[in-house]
Amino acid sequence: MKDLLEIKNLCVEVDGKELLHDINLAIPEGEIHTLLGPNGSGKTTLIMTVMGFTRYQVTRGRIFYDGQDITDLDLTARARLGIGVMQQRPPTIAGVKLHQVLAYLAAGDLQRNQKVQELLNQSQMSLLIDRDLNAGLSGGEIKRSELLQLLAHEPKFAMMDEPDSGVDLESLALIGKMINKLFAIESACTVKRKAGLIITHTGYILDNIDADKAHIMLAGRISCSGNPHLVLEIIKKHGYEGCVHCMP
Amino acid sequence: MPQLFTIDQLREEDAVELANVGVLTDRNRRSGTFLLRDVLPLCCYSSADGMELLSIDAALQRYDWLREKYFWKAVRPDLDEVTLQCHSESIPRGFFIRVRKNVKIAVPTQAGLFVAHSNVTQNVHNIVILEDDSELKLISGCLTLRGVSTGSHFAVSEMYLGRNAKLTNTMLHRWGPKVRVRPRSGTIVGAGGQYMSNYVSLQPAKSIESNALTWLNGSGASAKYLTIILGSDGATIDTGGEVYLNADDTSAELVHRGVCTGGHIFQKGLLVGNARCRAHVDCAGMVLDTKNSGFIESIPGLRGMHPEARMSHEASIGKIAPEQVEYLQARGMEEREAISMIIRGFLDTNIAGLGPELDARIAEIAELAGHGETR
Ligand SMILES: Nc1ncnc2c1ncn2[C@@H]1O[C@H](COP(=O)(O)OP(=O)(O)O)[C@@H](O)[C@H]1O
Ligand SMILES: [Mg+2]
Repeated sequence: MKDLLEIKNLCVEVDGKELLHDINLAIPEGEIHTLLGPNGSGKTTLIMTVMGFTRYQVTRGRIFYDGQDITDLDLTARARLGIGVMQQRPPTIAGVKLHQVLAYLAAGDLQRNQKVQELLNQSQMSLLIDRDLNAGLSGGEIKRSELLQLLAHEPKFAMMDEPDSGVDLESLALIGKMINKLFAIESACTVKRKAGLIITHTGYILDNIDADKAHIMLAGRISCSGNPHLVLEIIKKHGYEGCVHCMP
Repeated sequence: MPQLFTIDQLREEDAVELANVGVLTDRNRRSGTFLLRDVLPLCCYSSADGMELLSIDAALQRYDWLREKYFWKAVRPDLDEVTLQCHSESIPRGFFIRVRKNVKIAVPTQAGLFVAHSNVTQNVHNIVILEDDSELKLISGCLTLRGVSTGSHFAVSEMYLGRNAKLTNTMLHRWGPKVRVRPRSGTIVGAGGQYMSNYVSLQPAKSIESNALTWLNGSGASAKYLTIILGSDGATIDTGGEVYLNADDTSAELVHRGVCTGGHIFQKGLLVGNARCRAHVDCAGMVLDTKNSGFIESIPGLRGMHPEARMSHEASIGKIAPEQVEYLQARGMEEREAISMIIRGFLDTNIAGLGPELDARIAEIAELAGHGETR
C-alpha cells in the first residue's frame, strides 16, 4: 500500500525551542499506528504539527499527505484534504455549541448526519450537544465530544491524542467503539479501513483497537517502531527507561 | 392623522434597508406598524384587537389623560439637552401604543424610524402603555438610508407596564458614520411586570449616547437589559442607564456585549437596590481591532441601599483566542467562518425576531478580524 502520511526529517519548534528532532515516519493507507512515549516526549507536538496548528513551526523537513506536500498548507486546507484531530486538551469556546460544529461538519451529507444522529441516540450524548464546546466537561465527555466531531468530519486520516487517558473503564469501552466506527472498513472487497495515528500514554486503547504498528517517542525523537503488542509488553516490563539505550 | 399608505407600498429599496433592522413588509409577521420618515409619519396602524397604535400627536388630541398622566411623566423634560430639544417640538413625532388589560399580542409590533436625507434632525417621542396582564413584543428599527451619513436622531421613550404586564422591547440600530444618536427612556414597571430590553447596534453612528432609566416600583417586577454593540472605527458608543429596584422581590439584570473593531465602546449601568432585591451586571467585551486607539471600557455599577439587596457584577475583556479559531479550522472551517461562529457564540443571543440581520454584520466583522489582530 502506498503511504498516506509521510514525514521526512521533520524538526519542529515551539516558542523558539526545538521540540522535535529529525522525525521520520510513514503510515500507509489503511493502517493504524500508535505513538507511545513518556510525558513530555513530544507526542502531542507531532500531531499538532501534522494538523497545522500555527504554534508549531516546522524548521526543517517536509510532511506529505496522499502524495502531496502539505507542509505549507494551513489548517483549514489540511482538514479539507481529510486530516482530522482529536485533541487532548481542546479549548473551551463560550457560546458555541457542539451541535453547531456537528451541523457544520455533516452539512449536506445525509449519511453522515444519520450516523451522528444514531450515535447521539445510542450513547447518552444528546446532553453534550447543547453545552458550550468543551466547557466544564469531564475527561470522558471531552473524548466523546471530540470523537463525535471526528465522526461527523469523517477524515481519511485521523489523529487522536490520548483517547484513553483520564477515563473510566466504561467510557473506555464506548470510546473504543466510537474509534472503531471511525476507522471502519470502507468497502468489503478491498478490506481497506481508514488510517490513523493514535497517541497513547497508557496503552489501554490497544485492547480495543487493532493497531498495525507502534512507535516510541523519546525526547523528541522516534526511538523505535514495531509490533504494537510486543512494544507494549517491553515497555510494561522495562519502562521507557529500557528504551533509552536504543536511542540513536 | 392622514393615512399616507401601508407599509407594503414602501419603495422597494427602502423596504430592503428597513428589513435589515427588523422592520418587515409582511403583514402576517407584524401585528402593527408605525413608520417615521425624517420628520413625517408615513403609516400607523394596528391589526391586533386590544392594541391601539397611533401617532403621538393624534393620541394627545384624542386622550386628555395621556397628557395628564403619561406625557413627560417618566422622562423629565429638563433632564438634558436631548429632552429639552424634544420637548420644544410644537408637534411631537413618534408613536403611542396601548395594549388593553389581559390582551396578549403574540405577533410583534414594529416601528421603523428612518432618516432619509442628510442633516435631518429627527426628534422622536414615543409612549407605550401596557395595562395589567397584557403582553407586547415591540421591534424598533432605526436607521439612516443608504448614502445618508449626517443627521441626528433624538428619541424620548416613556413606557408604563401595569401589573404582570410583559414588554419585550427590541431595538435595532444601523446608522450612517456621522450621525448623532441620543435615546432617552423612562420605564415604570408595576407589580409582577417584566420589562425586557434588547438593544443591538449593528452599525454604529459617529456617537451614540443612551440613557435608560427604569423604576421597578411593584413587588416582583423585573427588568433585563441586553445591549449588543458592534463597534467600528470612528464611533463612540456609550450605553448606560439606571435601574431602581424599589420594591421587594424585584430583580434586574444588565448584560453588555461589545465587539470592538476600532472606536470607543463604553458599557455602563447602575443598579440601585432600595429593597429586598436581586441585581446583576454582566459586561463582556471582545477586542478584535484597536486601530486609532479603539477600546472597550466596562463600568458596571451597583448601589446597595437596603440590607437585603443582593447585588453582583462581573466584567471581562479579551480577544479571540487563536486556539479557539484554530480548533474550528481543524474542523474544516475557514478562518472567517470560525471567527463568525465564535463572535456569535460570544454574543450568545437568542433575541426573538433577530437572526440574519445580526449574522450578516458579524460576517462583515469577522472578515475584518480575519485580516487583523487575530492573525
Ligand atoms: N509552549 C511551549 N514552550 C516550550 N516548551 C513546551 C511548550 N509546550 C510544550 N512544551 C514542551 O515540549 C515538550 C513536548 O511536549 P508534548 O508534545 O506535549 O509532549 P507529550 O504529548 O509527549 O506529553 C515537553 O517537554 C513540554 O514541556
Ligand atoms: Mg501530550
